[in-house]
Amino acid sequence: MPRISILIAESTCLIRKGLSSVIQKLGNVEILQSVSNKVELCDVVNRLKPDILIANPDMLDSNCEDLKKPFITANKMSLILISEDKSIEAKYNAEAFVHYKDDQSKILELIEEIVNQKAEKNRTNKSNDTLSSREQNILKHIALGLTNKEIADQLFISIHTVVTHRKNITQKLGIKSVSGLTVYAILNNLISMDEVK
Amino acid sequence: MHIKENMKMADVIQMNYMLIPVIHRFGIELGFGDKTVAQVCKDSVVDLNFFLQLVNAYHDQDYFPKEELQTIPVREIVAYLKMTHASYLNNTVTEIEQKIISLEQEGSEDKKYIALIRNFFEGYKTELTDHIMREEDVVFPYVLAVDEILKTEQFTGKNKEVFESFSIEKYEEEHDDIEEKLMDLRTIMIKYVAPPANTNLYHSIIQDLFRLEEDLNYHSRIEDKVLIPKIILMEKSIKNLF
Repeated sequence: MPRISILIAESTCLIRKGLSSVIQKLGNVEILQSVSNKVELCDVVNRLKPDILIANPDMLDSNCEDLKKPFITANKMSLILISEDKSIEAKYNAEAFVHYKDDQSKILELIEEIVNQKAEKNRTNKSNDTLSSREQNILKHIALGLTNKEIADQLFISIHTVVTHRKNITQKLGIKSVSGLTVYAILNNLISMDEVK
Repeated sequence: MHIKENMKMADVIQMNYMLIPVIHRFGIELGFGDKTVAQVCKDSVVDLNFFLQLVNAYHDQDYFPKEELQTIPVREIVAYLKMTHASYLNNTVTEIEQKIISLEQEGSEDKKYIALIRNFFEGYKTELTDHIMREEDVVFPYVLAVDEILKTEQFTGKNKEVFESFSIEKYEEEHDDIEEKLMDLRTIMIKYVAPPANTNLYHSIIQDLFRLEEDLNYHSRIEDKVLIPKIILMEKSIKNLF
């Protein structure tokens, strides 16, 4: 399962580091980076594309609503806000709020819920990890040592399609090299050992 | 936490056991009692500064000794990397290969699968050997030539030829990761093969693969973070010199 990436934007070092060490306790998350100033934020988000942004409203531009709409949705991020003051819940529109006085289990619970939602969404997007029959067929050709071009010609599809299939196969199986894919193909009886050159 | 000269060598090893083969390559043996890093290096005639840069680069992914780079002698780095190469080929890789072979010889209904794994690993070994040979035959001689030119401040026929035939930029580009196949192998062994009767041996092969991969990662970090940046600086100085 791919890990959910989190970006923390908070100017106070103590909170930033503290929050990040609390979040580390969740198994399937990865803290990309911590951002400590406003200017960097947009740039870092665009570059790293985190699944979840945890930010202190001070870090956002004065009009958070502005940021929420185009920026957050365009990046398909979930927004969690950190604050000392409970009144921000009325002011801003975020999926969750972390307050300074929350204890560890509360924070974890809240973030875990959003992480799980995200993970669920990612999973349904990518259907499942078993290969489709088309992919099995392509894999067979790869294992036989054919190049992308040769596969495209034989199956009457474009090279681009072959490349896309290859990418998906590698992602599903977790195997990158041709020789690794060949071993997989033999183990799963897609080809026999004698067919391999 | 960075490793410093006044730390006890024993504490350094307790902190990161992956450093055991590293200090071994320096000719330092275990059993150093309460001696500090500095004392142990002195006793074993190891350049303290180089040792510290190296173990820190091993130990901490983000460690990047900018200023100290200048002071590490190129010859020392190359000698160390060569030692590492030799220990991969002569020890680590051979040991894993032996384990796979003895698993295969135990002969069971899984024999066919083990043969696949052995073939795969042999393919990897060839790739790793080629990679290492390329470094020893082309990259290191180039690096040493750069060092010589800068030290003597003059070109000779020989080092000029070597200098002009290569550049560290080329090496940076072609320095692909040799860990890919290794990762594939352990994925296959973990995800797709039912373990043979001798599970102990099978498990120990997987653990060896993890360790080799980790060690190779450390090794490439020395090349990418210590050697390459240093040579880039030296290439610049040579261009300014002539």
